[in-house]
Amino acid sequence: MVDQKPYQNPIELLQGTLDLLVLQTLTWGPQHGYGIAHVIRAGSRDALQVDTGSLYPALHRLEREGAVASEWKTSENKQRVKVYRLTPQGRRKLTQERSRWDRLMEAMSGVLDAAKEPEEA
Amino acid sequence: MNRRRRERELDEEIAAHLAMAVADRVARGQNPKEAEAAARRELGNEAIVKETTRAQWGRGSFERLAQDVRYGLRLLRRSPGFAAVAIVTLALGVGANTAILSVVDAILLRPLPYADPSRLVVLLHDGRNPVAPANYLDWKQRSRSFESMGAAENWSANLTGGGTPEKVPALLLTPEILPMLGVRPALGRFFLPSEGVAGQDHVVLLGDGLWRRRFGADPNVVGTSVQLNGQPYAVIGVMPPGFLFAPFWTADSEMWAPLDLQARAASREGSSLRIFGRLRKDVSLSAARAEIAAITAVLERDFPGTNRRVTVTPLHEKVVGNVRPALLVLLGAVGLVLLIACANVANMLLARSSARQREIALRAALGAGRGRTIRQLLTESLVLAALGGVAGAAFGAWSLKALVALAPASIPRLTDVHLDGRVLLATFAASLATGIVFGLAPALQASSVHLQDALKEGGAAGAGREGGRVRRVFVAAEVAIALVLLVGAGLMTRTFLALQAIDPGFDPRGVITFEVSVAGTRQAEPGRRSVLYRQILERIAALPGVRSAGAINHIPIAGDVWGFPYRIEGRPRPGPGESPVAAYRAVMPGYFASMRLPILRGRDVSAMDVAGAPGVVLVSDYLARHSWPGEDPIGKRISLDGTDDDPKWVTVIGVVKDTVRHEWNDPPEDEFYLSVLQRPGLVASSQSQAAYLTFVARADGDPAALAPSLRAAVWKLDPTLPISQVLTMDQIVASANARARFQMLLLAAFAVAAALLAAVGIYGVMSYAVAKRTREIGLRMALGANPGDVLRLVVGQGMAVALAGAGVGIAAALPLARLMSSVLYGVRPTDPATYAGVALLLLAIALLASYLPARRAAHIDPGKALRAE
Repeated sequence: MVDQKPYQNPIELLQGTLDLLVLQTLTWGPQHGYGIAHVIRAGSRDALQVDTGSLYPALHRLEREGAVASEWKTSENKQRVKVYRLTPQGRRKLTQERSRWDRLMEAMSGVLDAAKEPEEA
Repeated sequence: MNRRRRERELDEEIAAHLAMAVADRVARGQNPKEAEAAARRELGNEAIVKETTRAQWGRGSFERLAQDVRYGLRLLRRSPGFAAVAIVTLALGVGANTAILSVVDAILLRPLPYADPSRLVVLLHDGRNPVAPANYLDWKQRSRSFESMGAAENWSANLTGGGTPEKVPALLLTPEILPMLGVRPALGRFFLPSEGVAGQDHVVLLGDGLWRRRFGADPNVVGTSVQLNGQPYAVIGVMPPGFLFAPFWTADSEMWAPLDLQARAASREGSSLRIFGRLRKDVSLSAARAEIAAITAVLERDFPGTNRRVTVTPLHEKVVGNVRPALLVLLGAVGLVLLIACANVANMLLARSSARQREIALRAALGAGRGRTIRQLLTESLVLAALGGVAGAAFGAWSLKALVALAPASIPRLTDVHLDGRVLLATFAASLATGIVFGLAPALQASSVHLQDALKEGGAAGAGREGGRVRRVFVAAEVAIALVLLVGAGLMTRTFLALQAIDPGFDPRGVITFEVSVAGTRQAEPGRRSVLYRQILERIAALPGVRSAGAINHIPIAGDVWGFPYRIEGRPRPGPGESPVAAYRAVMPGYFASMRLPILRGRDVSAMDVAGAPGVVLVSDYLARHSWPGEDPIGKRISLDGTDDDPKWVTVIGVVKDTVRHEWNDPPEDEFYLSVLQRPGLVASSQSQAAYLTFVARADGDPAALAPSLRAAVWKLDPTLPISQVLTMDQIVASANARARFQMLLLAAFAVAAALLAAVGIYGVMSYAVAKRTREIGLRMALGANPGDVLRLVVGQGMAVALAGAGVGIAAALPLARLMSSVLYGVRPTDPATYAGVALLLLAIALLASYLPARRAAHIDPGKALRAE
């Protein structure tokens, strides 16, 4: 694994965010790639458009890390689809990512809120 | 999961994504064409999506391995000299080991080709001497330890009809033996118990080789009749290919006929039987030994002198016992060669990894982890080891063939020897293990290099003092091992020379011999034999190119040796079984002159010493000296037959120089020589098998060239006479020493290989040291050291390593050489001359190997050296 190349795709900065969203989506049950994208877009009322070129690399990386597992199933309309589900390890990762996200939000709002004060003063 | 399947699944996954997106849009009312175009747009560049996804998989371990192997091969191609030397070195070690290990496995380790062979035993006197019929029958009847017991007796028969008459080596077996071995005939059946009886015993089993050679592998031969010694024998079966049963007779048996003991059942004198037994499952070897000891003790009390020192030996041990020490010595030697080869390759890998420190440091600086570097280096040495292993397997197969071709025929089970898959696997594994163990050390050393030092100093300093010391230790070890091998080879050479120096009593050069058998021919009747023998002798003596001719019943070395009890006139009559025993020889006039075997006193037998004339005998010098010390033996009388009360005395007419008997280095023993013409049946008890005679002719020129005219001369007298064993005396003598020569040649080959490898090792280390110290040497020279000083410095360093190795080698060789004392002759395992000679030779080689790089060092241009780097 030592020769792993640095993560190079354009959405790199949002990596943590996308992971969090994907893991969160899977807590509601196993889902295929298209389904995950759909849920995220619908849940954000089309605010978050998940790029396919980021979604699948993220899913495959999470699978390699062991956070999700996959199996092939046949959907209602006879489509063979690869369905991902959360593993116990994925659940732990979700908790961590979630708390990191919460801390980040807290810290950011702290800074942003504090920045307002001198203006008021 | 393999890569191709993952690719396919990714394609399918993306296709499914697209299909679902299109389906959703169509469900929302878009027309299918627009839906598809929009979905594709939304998806983006499919190739890039897949590519970025694939990038997440990481490279599979197999792909990484393939990459490493490719890289390793590329590196080896870039330094072909290094690769060639390393591969050849490994191939030598692995190949030689494969060959010797195959031989050891076939001869010593693999069980005999019989059912449950570990329970088969041999009962003999003193572990080698045959047994009398009455003793065998008593043991068989009184013992309880054996499931089955049977007897075998040496036999040979003239096979006539259909082609040239042929003397076929054969055995007579009691009906128990073949079922006891747990084998089955390929065709037909074994002997019935009723066939072990005179009158019923004219049935025969053929060996596979004989069946193919003489009968064209015709399955209908079973049930037909063949002529053996002029008698019809019914063929009852054919043995399967690979069946061997002549466990310790020199000639492989090719026919088996029933042994009838009834007429001799009460005899405790004529010992010609080898007894075989199968231990019962619940009886241990020591229990069987104890039982036989108890039985023979009782028999010895009842019949003194007949049941002394009876041994029960596992068959396998009996068959291979006398080659075991020699093979183990060879195995040890070849193992040492492998060690040297490994040390050499390890050394080369070490030197190389030092030289590549800069590259390794660079890789580390670019982010390659330590594990990755180690794996890369290890893969390289494994690639090397695998190539060496493959080359070694090929070399091993070739050298095994050469080995079997060169090996003396007297080595048992030689026909079982073939390249064994398991052996090949084992030596290949040894080669890979070498790659791992000796590739790992440099890899660990290299991977712990300080990056900055290595990069800054351009690999020169990075090699480190530690690496240099390890390499010098390796080389010293190589020198030590080479010395041990050279000592072994030296001792074996001395043994061979000592054997060569033995005086056989006769002069083998220029003599050709052949055996004529009259058994079963119209010449078999003793009266006619004398006439025939005389005629043959006259004809061959008159041939052009023949200086003189004679004949003897058993030629020394190649012939049989019969012990025969005798009695000296005027001495107290010996008790039963206490008579002195001498080798029974019978000669035709001219034998001693043709062999140049000197008659020390008295005269040769003459044409007048015939049946009816006064009995005459010549005795060996040894017999004369201890039987009549200080007296003239000529005119003394001994008795060989007749009854105790009416001994038939024969008069000693001559004393013959002592000669070798069966084993080349047997000490001289009692022998007597009777006149064939006086006893054409050879032995008074007229054993019908004794109907053969070996003629000897001394040639003016090349004795081998006489063979055709000798055969023609005999067949002119009687075309039905089988002629066999047409050999020059030189060939016979060579065969007696074949084993010692074989061992000497192999050990010498190993020792030479070892010395060469050690020389390569010294040369490599010194060259490397010189190359590394170019700058330092240049500095010394700039400061006033002259080339002589530099030469001395480098050579001195090389010799220090060689001397240390030689010292350790001598210390190790002393106890190891003692292990081979059983294969030595005429030289002590601690022979100082051998040790000193070998050490000097090795030091001379070391001197040369370090002189070459030293000369290079002495020619270094200080200016250039200092500017370099």
